[in-house]
Amino acid sequence: MSRLALALLLAAAPSLAAAPTSPAPAGGIDAPRGGPLSGAELDARTNEIGGLLRCPVCQGLSVADSPSSMARNMKAEVRDKLAAGYDREQILTYFERSYGEFVRLDPPMRGVNWLVWFGPVAVLVAGGGVVAWAIKRSARNSGAAQATDPGSVPSDLPSRDTLPADARLAEAVRRTRELAYDWPGGVPPKPRPLPS
Amino acid sequence: MATAPLPDAPARASRVNPWVLGAGLAVVVPLLAVLVLNLGRDPHSIRSPLVGRAAPAFSLAPVGGGAPVSLASLRGRPVVINFWATWCVPCFEEHAALTASARTFGDVQFLGVVYEDDEARTKAFLADRGSSYPALLDPDGRTAIAYGVFGVPETFFIDGAGRIAEKFVGPLNRATIASLIAKAKGGGP
Repeated sequence: MSRLALALLLAAAPSLAAAPTSPAPAGGIDAPRGGPLSGAELDARTNEIGGLLRCPVCQGLSVADSPSSMARNMKAEVRDKLAAGYDREQILTYFERSYGEFVRLDPPMRGVNWLVWFGPVAVLVAGGGVVAWAIKRSARNSGAAQATDPGSVPSDLPSRDTLPADARLAEAVRRTRELAYDWPGGVPPKPRPLPS
Repeated sequence: MATAPLPDAPARASRVNPWVLGAGLAVVVPLLAVLVLNLGRDPHSIRSPLVGRAAPAFSLAPVGGGAPVSLASLRGRPVVINFWATWCVPCFEEHAALTASARTFGDVQFLGVVYEDDEARTKAFLADRGSSYPALLDPDGRTAIAYGVFGVPETFFIDGAGRIAEKFVGPLNRATIASLIAKAKGGGP
């Protein structure tokens, strides 16, 4: 536990030390990486980034689409950061630091999120493979049965007056006929001659 | 009559294909595990990524005028930052507990940050219900965004090193405030 606390302190130390000297390093993101924007480009980029951010107080709306005052504030924040020269990834990181990954409408492609992006495709491909394999196997099986001994199925069926050659099968057929039809020995009794 | 066992045709029908069983379990077991592990969790509560990190800096003007209050100037003592608004009913409920706790814990700096509300209404609310710590104005909600506030009330407990020790969502009572302050001081759970 104390080791964890120490690790956290060490991790936090540079930002703590830097905080008093640089008054607003914009919540842990470094110096602006892009050039400052203005005019129509600023509007367009504000909308684009607003569309990538989830409005925290809405149900599945982006900051660009939501009329709530919180979304308006967030959009103003995006605009100010763009005007100051921060790039898209820096601004998304800034919001992610306070709201978590939740704030991004598109989950970033990393870690377990790969599953979200490519899981469905992988499952579809795997399912298609299984179906193809099953179809191929059943086709091969029926083809093999027909190719190796054609006509074997009919010849295995005993006629009404005989029992099959296989001893175990013969026993089963005999017992079934005895139970079902009351035929002693599994063969139909000889028809009685009609009285003349 | 002989009772020799029949050929095993019926048994073959109920035999399970181990591949199908294995594939089914491979899909169902992880899903069940995810379900069971998250049964007790509120899907709307998202743990703040700020807990354990340095609290975002701010410098905000208090309601009623005066010098701006900055977080950096309070370094060295625990700070409780309560985001609230006069239009928020749970904020009424916790106001008395916060005011009383601010008086009890003289070594802890309490701050209120007014969220999407205007100064006149806030002043009237505080005059009516009393106050024992500064209420700060947050124009455009910049500080609320930096703290990842979803709604009010939300309260942050910051330790003497300026690190967020805990975030609490919803109305606080005095016992909870005391235990979270203990945590910010390093003696709590």
